[in-house]
Parts: sequence; C-alpha cells; structure tokens
Amino acid sequence: MNKLAKVFVIAEHMGAMQELVSGAAQLGESTALVWAGDKGQAVGADTVYYLGELNNDRILEHYAPSIINLVKTEQPNLVLVESSRKGRLMAGTLAAALGTSVLADATEIIIDNGVVTKRMVYGGAALSSERSSAPTTVATVSPGVFETAAAGKAANLVEVPFVAPATSVKCRERKTKAGESVNLRAAKRIVAVGRGFTAPEELKLAEQLAAAIGAEVGCTRPIAEEEKWMDKARYIGVSGVMAKPELYIGIGISGQVQHMVGVSSARTIVAINSDKNALIFKQCDYGIVGDLKNVLPALLAQLGK
Amino acid sequence: MKIVACVKAVPEEQDIAIKSDKTLDLSKAELKVGQYDLNAVEAAVQLQEATGSEEPILVTVGSTKGLKNSKLQKAMLSRGAGALFGVADDSLDSIDAFATAKNLAAAISKIGGVELVICGEGSGDIYSQQVGPILGQLLGFANLNAVSRITLMGDKLEVERTLENEIEVLEVTLPAVLSVTTDINKARIPGLKEILAAGKKPTTLWGAADLEMTKEGNIEVISTLAPPETQRQQMVFEGDSEENIAQLLDNLRKVL
Ligand SMILES: Cc1cc2nc3c(=O)[nH]c(=O)nc-3n(C[C@H](O)[C@H](O)[C@H](O)COP(=O)(O)OP(=O)(O)OC[C@H]3O[C@@H](n4cnc5c(N)ncnc54)[C@H](O)[C@@H]3O)c2cc1C
Ligand SMILES: Nc1ncnc2c1ncn2[C@@H]1O[C@H](COP(=O)(O)O)[C@@H](O)[C@H]1O
Repeated sequence: MNKLAKVFVIAEHMGAMQELVSGAAQLGESTALVWAGDKGQAVGADTVYYLGELNNDRILEHYAPSIINLVKTEQPNLVLVESSRKGRLMAGTLAAALGTSVLADATEIIIDNGVVTKRMVYGGAALSSERSSAPTTVATVSPGVFETAAAGKAANLVEVPFVAPATSVKCRERKTKAGESVNLRAAKRIVAVGRGFTAPEELKLAEQLAAAIGAEVGCTRPIAEEEKWMDKARYIGVSGVMAKPELYIGIGISGQVQHMVGVSSARTIVAINSDKNALIFKQCDYGIVGDLKNVLPALLAQLGK
Repeated sequence: MKIVACVKAVPEEQDIAIKSDKTLDLSKAELKVGQYDLNAVEAAVQLQEATGSEEPILVTVGSTKGLKNSKLQKAMLSRGAGALFGVADDSLDSIDAFATAKNLAAAISKIGGVELVICGEGSGDIYSQQVGPILGQLLGFANLNAVSRITLMGDKLEVERTLENEIEVLEVTLPAVLSVTTDINKARIPGLKEILAAGKKPTTLWGAADLEMTKEGNIEVISTLAPPETQRQQMVFEGDSEENIAQLLDNLRKVL
C-alpha cells in the first residue's frame, strides 16, 4: 500500500492512543502524536507534540487553537483522531478550521488516491466508502481498526506553544464516573436485554442465565440511555459496542438494525420475544415466541438439571 | 435569548429497501425528523420556557422536495418551536458534514442575533456526530458536545458533559453551539392540537438566491452498499411449553 508522508494522531485515552500510533506507522512514513496530560505516557510515534497538562484550568478543548496552529504549520497528510466524545469534538473543530469535513467513525482506512475509509451509515444498514483528497484529511477511527503494536521507542518530544482560545469555557469540576469496566467487544457469549424487560428487577433473570452459561450481559441502547438500568459500556450496536461473540441471546429485543449490526457476525443468534412478528426472528438461528417472564425461569430450571 | 435548534429530515429507516445489487432504495422511505434531534428541540424549548424568551427557531438543511413536505414541517414545528428556516436545494441531499455546517452557519447568520445553537447528538441517518462541532468552529462560538445538562446562570450557561469516564461541569459564555446527548431530556410527544397549530407557524425556505449556499463538500462518497447477509436458520418455536424450552435448550447446548 502507498504510504503518506506524515500522519498525526490525536488521542486522549492510552488504549486508543496505542492503536492509532500503530495505525499511523502503517499509513505514514513519519508519525507524530499530539498529546496532552501525562508526558511519560506519550511514546511510540517518531515525534510527540506535547501540549501541556490536563486539569481544571486546561481541559483538552482549551488546546484546540494550539492544535489547529500546529496542524496548519506541520501540514500532515492525515490526522487520526480517537472516536471518543472529546476526540470527535476536536476532529470537527480541526477539520472546520482547515476548511474540510471529517471522515467519521472509520472502520477501515486505506490510501488510494487520497484517504479512503469505510463507515456504517443508516444505522448499520449500509457501509459507505468515502474518499477525502483534502491536503490534510481528518478522520475519527473506531476502536479495533488497528492492532496495538509492541511498546514503541521514546520519541522526540516537542513542546507546543499554547495559543489561548478566543471563546470562554471554564471547567468548574471534573468527576470520575462510577461506571464499571466491561469489555463486551471481547466477550464470547452475550445475553442481551431490551425493552421487553419492564422493571430493573426483571434483569436478574437475564443475569442468572448469563451466569449459568458464562456470558456477559449486554443491552439495547434504550436500556442504557433512557432507562439507565445498565452502564453505557454495555449497549450493543452501531452507536455502542460492536461485539463479535460466538453466541448471542437477545431477550425482549425487537431486532432493529442499529442494534443487530453490533452482533451480526455472531456464529449463533438466539431470540426470545413475545411478538412472533418481531424483526429479530428473521435474523436468528433459534428463537422462542413467549413472555420472557415465563421463558427465562423455565430455561433456567431445565439448564440446572 | 435567541435559541436555534438544528434538525435534520432523515428517511424512515424501516422503509429503506436493499436492491439486488446491494445499493439502497430510499424511494419508499418517507422523511421524518431525526430521532436524536428531538432532544435538541426539547432542550431549546425547555431553556426558552425557563427564561421566558421568544420561542426557539428551527433550522434545517435539505432537499427542496423533501423540506416542502407539510407533514414533515409540522412534525418539526409541533414540539414547541416558533418558526422554521430551511436551506433548501435539491443538491443538498447528500452533502458532507462540513457543507451542511456551512449552510447552517449561513442561515444562522442571516437570522441574526442567535446566541445559542443546539444540535442533536447525531443525525438519524449518517450519525457522524460532526455537524455540531464543525458548526461551532465555523461560527467562532464556544463549542461543546456530549452536553447532558444545560442550566442558565445569569448571562452564562452551566453545562454538564458526560464523557466516557468522567463528568465535566463547565461555565460557558455565550454565544455557543452545544451538541446534546440523547439522555439530556425526554422529548415531548405532540398532541393533535400542537400538530394543528404547527401548520400555522411561519416556515421559510431559503434558496441559493437568499444566502451563500454551499452545494458541495470535499468528501466523495464512492459507494453505499448493504453488507453481505448472514444466512440464519430461523428455527422459531411458538410458545413457552416445556417441550419448546427443551428443544431450544438442545440447540443451545450444541453451541455451548
Ligand atoms: C442513529 C441511531 C443509532 C442507534 N444506535 C443504537 C445502538 O447502537 N444500539 C441499540 O440497541 N439501539 C440503537 N438505536 C435505537 C434502535 O433504533 C432501537 O430503538 C432499539 O434498538 C430498540 O431497543 P429494544 O429492542 O430494546 O426496544 P423495542 O424496539 O421497544 O423492542 C422491545 C421488544 O420486546 C418485546 N417484548 C415486550 N414484552 C416482552 C415480554 N414480556 N417478553 C418477551 N419479549 C417482550 C417486544 O415484542 C419488542 O419486540 C439507534 C437509533 C438511531 C436512530
Ligand atoms: N441537514 C441538517 N440540517 C439541520 N441540522 C443538521 C443537519 N445535519 C446535521 N444536523 C445537526 O447536527 C447534528 C449532528 O449531525 P451529524 O453530524 O450528521 O451526525 C444533528 O443531530 C443535527 O442537530
């Protein structure tokens, strides 16, 4: 594959940073990491452009003008940005300052007469292949696109001068979220719950099934975002976790594309739903039409035997 | 405070058909308001209700044919906003986020005096979560996404952001562009009365003659194709009888 001359990485979390730095090395002759926060963590790229500390006085957003300045001066061919919330904001801000758009949520990146990415559109019903031929292309990259390489060399560190933002955003407080850590992307078996569950107590049934077969529990977006019964890290689909389990059991889930695309590569899909016309039955290997409040206890009882 | 909420008309996803060559057939899919833009409208309306200022204004960019649809206009205007401005041209159907944001910026500048722009988390079809961030930079406003709470504090806003591992509480000086999360509020469901009243609210569609329109982006879409389908067995048992459960379990055991 052709390589670009210069590829930059902007990331805020260690894991994504390592993935993107290794991706940058695949795509570019020279690589640079643009980093704020703990200086010691920034390794792997040929150059580290160090922005400064992260604290209440300086959140990542405050470094946007410095980053824009740096990118305009250095003119990398491609900037790979972590697809976190802050990464997305930075990507859009930077692209707009460069007069271009963002190749968003790339699940694949190749160099072919410009930068060509694939991404899901229409909630996962289709894959769109998009090309940017901007002098500097900005792309946000989905997790798992690049393998993390072995820990890299200590880089040449360049301190980036701070350019003060013109608008005023003051950070008053930063609280760590209580959220649990769960990696559904790596789960081999998933029991997922949807809106067919009408009270949080009912989730126990799904948890028991998961425990019985050694599965992780996942859910649909409304269970996490609207009901808030489960951590957001547990919702599966185009805007959540793209999982690749061997076995997926969807319970009380209608089977809309935005969710199902997150498990479409599962070897076996099992569905439990009270509506025999539910979309999920068209996409499952085994299904049972029934009320989850009856099916799950019965299933658990027979499993125990 | 003059507030704008940005809403996009998107095809009803249930009615998107896949042709034999894997391309999409959108011809049967009616346009509706993007699901996550309803939270943007609701956030704008709630702020207006809290301040007693004028009703928020909706801005949309899309094809003339699509935006002329009065059912769609009513769907947009029946949720508490006071007026709708559209940047309409048949070339604007599939432009990129940058071009969309340029057109939104042109409309917002033409409206004039806008202090707060609220965008949804992502559009219902493309969902790139980029139009808000790009728009904020183009307008030169304070620019934040992942906003899960907005509270008015004098002439400033207190804004909470829900990020992957942390919550940020920020003080934002206007003007600002805020992209809100889907859990910031529960969008209201309009009744018949609101839908009827929406038909009487002012709707203005601007064309290339009215403002500086950006008809092309710089990202080229090479193809949009449905992914290959996985064949599934679709062995579905009706009813939760002992036998059916046992059958299901037999099959399940094969893969455990
Ligand atoms: C841009 C965009 C992105 C999105 N991204 C995602 C995503 O990443 N992930 C995601 O999950 N969703 C996503 N969605 C939302 C998605 O469109 C659906 O709204 C959602 O997946 C539906 O969740 P559900 O199946 O839990 O609920 P519903 O669609 O309400 O289905 C509930 C099901 O439960 C069944 N049921 C009810 N009672 C019982 C019972 N007692 N026993 C058994 N079954 C019962 C019903 O028959 C029904 O089929 C997205 C939407 C948009 C617009
Ligand atoms: N064509 C459009 N017209 C008006 N607002 C839009 C349009 N496209 C995107 N937006 C706004 O920008 C947000 C993010 O869109 P996107 O970047 O396409 O995911 C949406 O939730 C809308 O609030």
